[in-house]
Amino acid sequence: MRNGGRARLLLVTLIVTSLFLITLDLRGVKVIDNFKQGSQTILSPFQSAGSAVLTPVKNFFSDVTHLGRTRNQIEKLQAENADLRSRLITRKNADAQLKQLKNILDLAGTAGYKIVNARVISQGSSQSFSQTIIIDVGSNGGIKKNMTVLSENGIAGVVKDVYPTSALILLASDPSFKIGARIASTQQIGILTGRGTRTANLQLLDNSTEIKVGDVLLSRGSIANRPFVPGVPLGYVTSVDNSAGAVAQTATIRYYTNFSALGVVAVVVGGPAANPGDALVPVKPRATPIPTVTVFVTPSPVPTN
Amino acid sequence: MLTRRISIAAPIFLIIFMIQEAVISQFRLPGGGFSIILIFALTWAVLSETEVAAVIGFAAGLLMDLSHTSAGPFGQWTLIMLIAGYAISYIGYGDDNVHANAIGIVFFVVIANLLVEIAYLASGALLGVPSVSFGQILIKLLGMSIWSLLASPILLPTFSRLHGIIFDSRSAI
Repeated sequence: MRNGGRARLLLVTLIVTSLFLITLDLRGVKVIDNFKQGSQTILSPFQSAGSAVLTPVKNFFSDVTHLGRTRNQIEKLQAENADLRSRLITRKNADAQLKQLKNILDLAGTAGYKIVNARVISQGSSQSFSQTIIIDVGSNGGIKKNMTVLSENGIAGVVKDVYPTSALILLASDPSFKIGARIASTQQIGILTGRGTRTANLQLLDNSTEIKVGDVLLSRGSIANRPFVPGVPLGYVTSVDNSAGAVAQTATIRYYTNFSALGVVAVVVGGPAANPGDALVPVKPRATPIPTVTVFVTPSPVPTN
Repeated sequence: MLTRRISIAAPIFLIIFMIQEAVISQFRLPGGGFSIILIFALTWAVLSETEVAAVIGFAAGLLMDLSHTSAGPFGQWTLIMLIAGYAISYIGYGDDNVHANAIGIVFFVVIANLLVEIAYLASGALLGVPSVSFGQILIKLLGMSIWSLLASPILLPTFSRLHGIIFDSRSAI
């Protein structure tokens, strides 16, 4: 009986402590943030080491997932010796990151963004439902909260939390992510909201304007370029909801960024001197005409008997 | 006695937390993957008496809240894990159908894992944490359950042996 009473008292004490912590956090008490910041500072070297050590294993899993597409490559690699294979996998990873980095630099260079490049060292949590990544650059590298994060194709997300040597990025696919968007070549504006997938929801602010499938969306930009710099490619319209009686016109957008393949990203630490306008609108692929071969046949005269 | 045992167990919790953050989180496993600290805490809770299980849940929840990828307010995981730990031990401890065989523990842990995630989602909704679509939630819950069903039998012998060493019980399976 006495033990039961003690257990109940302990349970009540712990519940009250938990509720106390929740209340403190919801009220924005700094102590909790400092705790989290401290733990992340301790964890980030381990995460960086883990990322470096596990890269070949991650590539292996990636290859297994895309077995159909990479079967030829796997067969080729199997023929080579272990050392060469290991070097090839490492090289493959470096090449992919280099390609991403080059595209990001092209994007930032065209718009005049000042950027800091970072490597993705963790892919978010498997126990929560938010969509985040962790990068290996933090406040020591000039990163601050609420800065735009770019991928090679456009928006990747926004800096949510910063630690000395790492930063937590909220991906644009997260349902809590919202960004002011503008349709390229027009001044139509709206709000883009993540859906948890590669698609997003666009709500236009002006109901009288028209939106078409294939329209490209760019970021509108924020005051002092934070959290968002202007002109970043977001995605394109895949369907428009024109239902009668709707208060605002909505559309489904597909992001340019593939959030599951982020290896290298760039944080915009300085905005452009002037608004880049539509300079970053991706070039549409041109259809290559297929030559048609025309054969003229002249019938031979029919022999008459 | 309890304090001494918990203080001995603390480094193990920290190591498991490190593994979760530095290793498991590196993989974007299909269906959401699994949480090793969740499986660890639930396994220990099944094997412990209620008082200890509540403290185990509390400690695991605190660490899960410390994870910077935790979307909810600090303390949400602590509260859920504390209640989960107590409830699991209350139901499972002393029940030989659950406690005395490995398969029983694995199924108990997997179901508890699913219920804990649902409780996290429900409390997150109450606290205003944005969530993904219903379909995605279902896929993730199913994926997590399958992963924990695969991972639990592999991890169970190690976790139960550690529990046996620290709490000096016959829980090693």
